[in-house]
This record gives sequence, structure tokens and C-alpha cells, in this order.
Amino acid sequence: MAATTREAHLLSAQKTNPLTWWLAGLSLAVVASLTGNVFVLVGICVASLLTIRLCRDESPWAQSISFYIKLAAIVVALRVLFRIIFNLGSSTKDALFILPSIDLDFGFGNALKLFGPISQEAFTLALADGFRLAAIILAVGMANSLANPRKLLKSTPGALYEIATAISIAINLAPQLISSLGRVRRARSLRGQSKGIKAITGIVIPVLEDTIDQSMGLAASMSSRGFGRKGNRTNFQIIGARLLAFLAICLIVIGSALLLFSPDQQAVQLTVLLVGLVAAGFSVKLSSARATITRYRKEPWRLGDVIILCVSVLLMVLAFGGVFAR
Amino acid sequence: MIQLKDLSFSYLKSDGTKVSETPQLNNVNLRINAGEFVLVCGPTGSGKSTFLKALNGLAPSFTGGVITGELIIDGKNLLGLEPHEFASLVGFVNQQPENAFVGDTVIDEIVYCAEQLGIAIPQIKESVAKISELLEISDLLERPLATLSGGQQQRVAIASALVAGQKILLLDEPTSALDLQGAAEVLRVLQRLTSEEGVTVLLAEHRISRVIAAVDSVLVVHGDGSVTKGPTSTQFNDSRFAPPIIELGLKLGWKPLPVSTHDANVMWQKTNPKFENKTPFAPTEDVLTVEDLEVNFGSVQALQKTSFSLQGNQVTALMGENGSGKTTLCWAIQGSGTRTKGTVKTYKGDTAQLGANERLEVLTMVPQRAADLLFLSTLSAELEESDRFAEVEPGSTAKQFKSLAGRIDTSIHPRDLSAGQQLSLVLAIQLVKQAKILILDEPTRGLDYSAKHALAKQLNSLRSADRSVLIATHDIEFVAMVADRVLVLEEGKLVTDSSPIEVLGAGKKFASQLAEISNQPGLISLEQVQL
Repeated sequence: MAATTREAHLLSAQKTNPLTWWLAGLSLAVVASLTGNVFVLVGICVASLLTIRLCRDESPWAQSISFYIKLAAIVVALRVLFRIIFNLGSSTKDALFILPSIDLDFGFGNALKLFGPISQEAFTLALADGFRLAAIILAVGMANSLANPRKLLKSTPGALYEIATAISIAINLAPQLISSLGRVRRARSLRGQSKGIKAITGIVIPVLEDTIDQSMGLAASMSSRGFGRKGNRTNFQIIGARLLAFLAICLIVIGSALLLFSPDQQAVQLTVLLVGLVAAGFSVKLSSARATITRYRKEPWRLGDVIILCVSVLLMVLAFGGVFAR
Repeated sequence: MIQLKDLSFSYLKSDGTKVSETPQLNNVNLRINAGEFVLVCGPTGSGKSTFLKALNGLAPSFTGGVITGELIIDGKNLLGLEPHEFASLVGFVNQQPENAFVGDTVIDEIVYCAEQLGIAIPQIKESVAKISELLEISDLLERPLATLSGGQQQRVAIASALVAGQKILLLDEPTSALDLQGAAEVLRVLQRLTSEEGVTVLLAEHRISRVIAAVDSVLVVHGDGSVTKGPTSTQFNDSRFAPPIIELGLKLGWKPLPVSTHDANVMWQKTNPKFENKTPFAPTEDVLTVEDLEVNFGSVQALQKTSFSLQGNQVTALMGENGSGKTTLCWAIQGSGTRTKGTVKTYKGDTAQLGANERLEVLTMVPQRAADLLFLSTLSAELEESDRFAEVEPGSTAKQFKSLAGRIDTSIHPRDLSAGQQLSLVLAIQLVKQAKILILDEPTRGLDYSAKHALAKQLNSLRSADRSVLIATHDIEFVAMVADRVLVLEEGKLVTDSSPIEVLGAGKKFASQLAEISNQPGLISLEQVQL
């Protein structure tokens, strides 16, 4: 592993569809949110990191993973720390360790108990909570570092094209913001400033103006090359497809949220989810049917994509199976 | 191909009233033929850019404002349509292509417009092959855009503007960020497009001395709302934006006015004008010493071991192609840029060891994007803040600014100043700090000739005040005008340290246009020519 070769193998980011990575990342996140087992959660974290290590290419977004690792570590640490500080009444019987407790009484309701004994169970639960969030963060991080946002844009169906464009621009803005921040900060030191002026305005204003200018420039360039053309679709068709897409997204989000947070009454929730998916399919079909855009190069689905997706589906089935079995 | 009838355009304030009494474009009537190569010029801030944008709907769609009249392209009045409705007819290319790219690789970028217009795949393939051949980028198609040179990027931008078979191409200062070679590449393909493919090209430019010989006609946006179009030799009565070759012809009273180097050379030999030699200024003592300076970015050697000193009473030019390390060297000298090895000594010590405010007592710098230094909401607030920081008499910066840019309403937002005025403002802010050393990184980008003359005059007066100025630039004519000494960087290596006569003289790589015209050793700038 020491010398990482970046040859394009079967599963490497260059040779796979970016959509695959988002689907894989999201299914890992779903699996993580369904399980309470610390070992499974740690396994998901490790699997995400290993996958990035093995499959990433040289693109700038492949570097973003260090940010996700830091965020995940902070989340785990904070979750455990909060559990220790805001102690919600563990008994001293099976305490893992006992810290001197502090009672804060503000004069309303129960006294707020800080520190005190921490039971094995409470500690494990806090750890599992922390690692669940960490696993979700790393799974999304994996998708983000392996899926080239520009390639992703090309694989989206026509119906989602405008949304995908907006997202892709937003993703591309982040590195540009960082570079203009660096440039402006350096430039500010050339100016020097008297004490009356707040330092922050001197940096924020030029950076914001720069970012807005650049986004407007990009928008102008896209527009003058035909982006946003209606073609021969009627307004009714466009708006109808958009409304349907919006409805579908709402249904899918509500359905999955219900499924995750209250695991009873599954029939209702699965129906909502299913209707959402069907609506999404229709909306995509409706807008893509009279697409006014050609795709010069479509991202193909290759063997690697099939393998990754099969593994993701298998994991999902196992996780849902576990939930139902309980 | 294009016909304008009573076309008017005005910017609006947020309350819906017009910004000024005179519209930006006022009742413009003109006609541009198919296959015509038109140079669009005019003083800084006159509205060249607005004029171009009005021709494909970007104005008013993206700029705000109101447009009236008729805009007839290919027989149809398209006034008031959104830019994407122009896309199949008109291609638009920006000043900075990297900001306009939507793709990752060259091929992605080129096909973008064709995809948006819904052109069938086999047809796209055909036109990609043709356009990439024409623009000499066939072997770059799979390369990531970020790895291309500026000239290559600009040619990709042109290809992507013409891929759907557009017959009109608008270019807004496409070469202003390019070095000599990149600019020449772009100009060459533009000539090919007009002559071989019959594309109508409208090119807005500031650096026009090498362009005017290639164009069919010149369109001048005067800034008072009027726009005129005619043959090249009749369009430059206004010397604010006349290039050196025209200025020479006007100065010597040549008729007909030559516009190409060749014609001017013939006239020179016929009339054989007198000129005086440049007497170099005597530099005073060393004010800054660069010793064994090296800069690496990772494994890339951006600046190889470099040593030289700067003297007082001297203007030193730092020349070289894009990416040769000019900006890297400027920031390393200033002290806050990356340094791998070496020292830069001043009377207060090494610039890298000084605090930000201490540094400003020794040297000030105007970076490539001067506007980065401006952050207050009115011009007067910027001027007052500058006085406060420099602890000088109130009004000093305003006075300095007025001497550079003339009288300007101080209640306006600094972002609404033209590029030249912004540069003047930042320069004024830096000059009142009274540091002995001034570094300017690409100061002439986006400046018209009159603004360049004003800057040159200012630099001359600084020199007589015993200051030392370092200018990083690839503007040869400007170097010919102001420099006492020229340093040349090539791929991070200091290869030349010599007088301007040596570097810019006839037959040299960086020969100034006057040196080419006259072919006289020792003659590089217009000021030397006598009546």
C-alpha cells in the first residue's frame, strides 16, 4: 500500500460511473443508520476509507477526504464527551469509571447533573451513536471523493439536468472560494489597515464579489452557449415535469424518514416510498421524452459498476432483514 | 450579416432611473458584412464590452439595463431575446476562458454548446473534427483544461463557441491575459476563421498594435454613446486609444496612415526621420538585494537560483512569458510569498522576517488584481482610510489619485471604476505610504493607451524622486516607454539582465514595434522620435 499505484483498475473512479458511487455511499449510509452494532459501524468506516484509498484518481475532489475524516473524528469524540458531561443518570453499579459529579440547580425542574458515574452500557451506546454519524459522514465522503461532479452531471437524466447543473456549480465553487480567499488575504496584507476598520470586511467583501462575479461569468458563458433553451417543449410540460419531480422527492424523503425513525407500520411507509419512486420515474420519463439536449458521450455502465451496486444492494438487504427480524 | 438600426442601450439604477443622461449606446446605426473581421476599440470604460454583449443578448440579460431599436442578425430582428436564443447564430468568447469553462476536458468543453442545442451525435463528431483542426487543437482533445496554456485555453474557448456552426464570433479582450506567443496564436486562428470559413469576427481589444494590420475595419465605441465604423486608417483621430504605430504616423504626418509594420517600414525608409538616443538614468545606491533566491512548489521548480539588486532612481522591468515565474518572484521579494531558499535584504532586514506593516514602510506592491485591495463602499471612504493608515495629511491620497486618474465623483463604489481607474486608486493608496520600493505586477492589463501614458508619466516622476520600481509585465511597448533596465525570466531562470535597447531592439525576441518599423539600433520608443 505504501506506493499507491494509480493505474485504472476495474473499480477505480475513472472507470466507474459516478452515480454508482453515490448509490453505494447512500446505501452504506442507510445501512449505518439502521444498525446499532459498533463493530458493523466501525467496519463501514474502514470500508469507506479503504475504498477511497483503492479507487480514487488524481482529481481535486479526491483530496477532500481528509476533511471528512477530521469531521468524523470530531463527531465521535464530541458524542462521547457529551455523554460523559451531560450524564443522564447512570447507576454506580456497573460503572465503567466514576467522575466526581456536579449538580447544577437553576431552580426549575430537576437539577442538571454533570459528570458522575458512566456505565458500560451508556458508554457503548454513546460510542455507537458517534460511530453511526461518523459512518454516514465517511460514506457520503466516499461518494463525494470518488464521483467526479462534472461526470455526474453528464449521467443525470434530462429531467434533473437543471438541478444537477446547480449542484455541480456549487460543488465547483468551493475550491474556487478557497483560492480566492487565499489571494485576497495576501492582497490585504499589501494594503495594511488602520485600527478603525474591521479586518473581516476587508476579506469577506472582495471574496464574495469575486465569487459572485465568477458565477455570473460562468452563467453568462453557459447561457450564450444555449443552456436553458426550452427547445420545442411547452411551458406546461416543463412545469408539469418539475412539479412531479418535486412531489417525488418529497415522497421519497418522507417515506425513508418514516421508515428509519419509526420502524412500525411498515406497509404505509413502504407505500409512500414506492409511490415516490414511481412518480420520480414518470417525471424523468416525461422530461426526457422530448429532451432538447444531446449527450455526446454518455457515461456507460461497466462491470465494475455492477459489482459495486450488487454489493450495496446485498448490504441493504441484510440491514433491512436485520431490522425486520427484530 | 449584422445590422443595427437605432440601437440604444442604457444602464438603470436600482430605482429604475437611468444611470446617466447619455446612454451607453445612443442610436447606433451600422452594418457588418458576412466574413468581415472587425476590431472594436475605444478608451477604457467606453462600453466596448457592453456593445459586444448587446449583440448576443447578454446585455441586458446579464448586465441589467434597457435596450431599444433593432438588432437584425441573418435577416431576423432578435432584439430582446435571451442569450440562449442567440446561441446557434453567435458565439461569445470571454476575457478569461478558465472562468467560463463548464467541462473537465477539452472535448467536453467543445461539445457543450452542440449538446445544448440538441445537435445529433454524428453531426457533432463531424464538426468537432473540423473545428479542432481549424483551431489547431486536434491533439489536445482528451487533455484536462487545467493543463493547457492560456493561448490553448483561449483557442478551446473559440472552438466551443463555433462548434454549432455559428457564423458570428464575438471576442471580449481575448488576448489581454496572454503573453506574446499566446496572443499571436489566437490572432492567427482568427484570421484563418474569417478568410477560410467566412466567419464574421468582432474583436474587442486594448492591445491593438499588432491586430490592426489584420482586420478589415475598425469600430470605435467613443464613450459618449456614439459608435462609428470605417476603414482602419480613418478611425484613430482620438489618440486616447491609438496604438504606437498610428501615433507614429500621426506624429510624423504620414499620409496615407500606415497600419501594418511593413507599410510603416516603407514610409520610414522614404522619410528617414531623426531620433535621439535614450540617455540612461544614473542609478543611486542599492535599495534591495536578492541573493540566491529559489522557489519550489512541491516538485516544480518555479524559480531557479536568482541573484540581483534593485537601485534607487531606476525603473526595472521583469519580462517573460506566462508561467515563467514573474509573479512568483514578485511575491517572494515582497516577503509573504513562498521561498525555498535565499534572502531579500533591505535596510530594515530580510523582507520575509518583517511584519506586514513594517514591510509596507520598505516596499509596497500592486498585485495583478488590484481590485483585491479595495473593500470599502465608496471611493471617498477608501481615500480617507488610506490617509489614516499612512498617517499623512487628510486629502493626500485624493490628491495623488487625481494626478493619476483626473477628477472623479468620490461617492461612487470603487467596483464601478474602470480597470484603469481602479489601478490608479490602488497605486495612489500604495504611493502615499512613501516606501522607497514599488512592485507592480502586470499593471497595464486592461489599460488603454492614454491610461498607459498616464502611468508611464507617474513612474517617471517616481524615478526622479529616487524611488525604485519593479514592473512585471509582458507589455513590450510599455517597457520600451518606461524601463531603465530589463530582467528576463525563462522557465524560472533569470536569463537576461540588460538595458532596454539590448532586449527590445530591432531583431531581438522582444523587439518593440517601433524597433521593427525603423530597424534602427538604439530606437525602441516613440518618445525618441523627433520632428
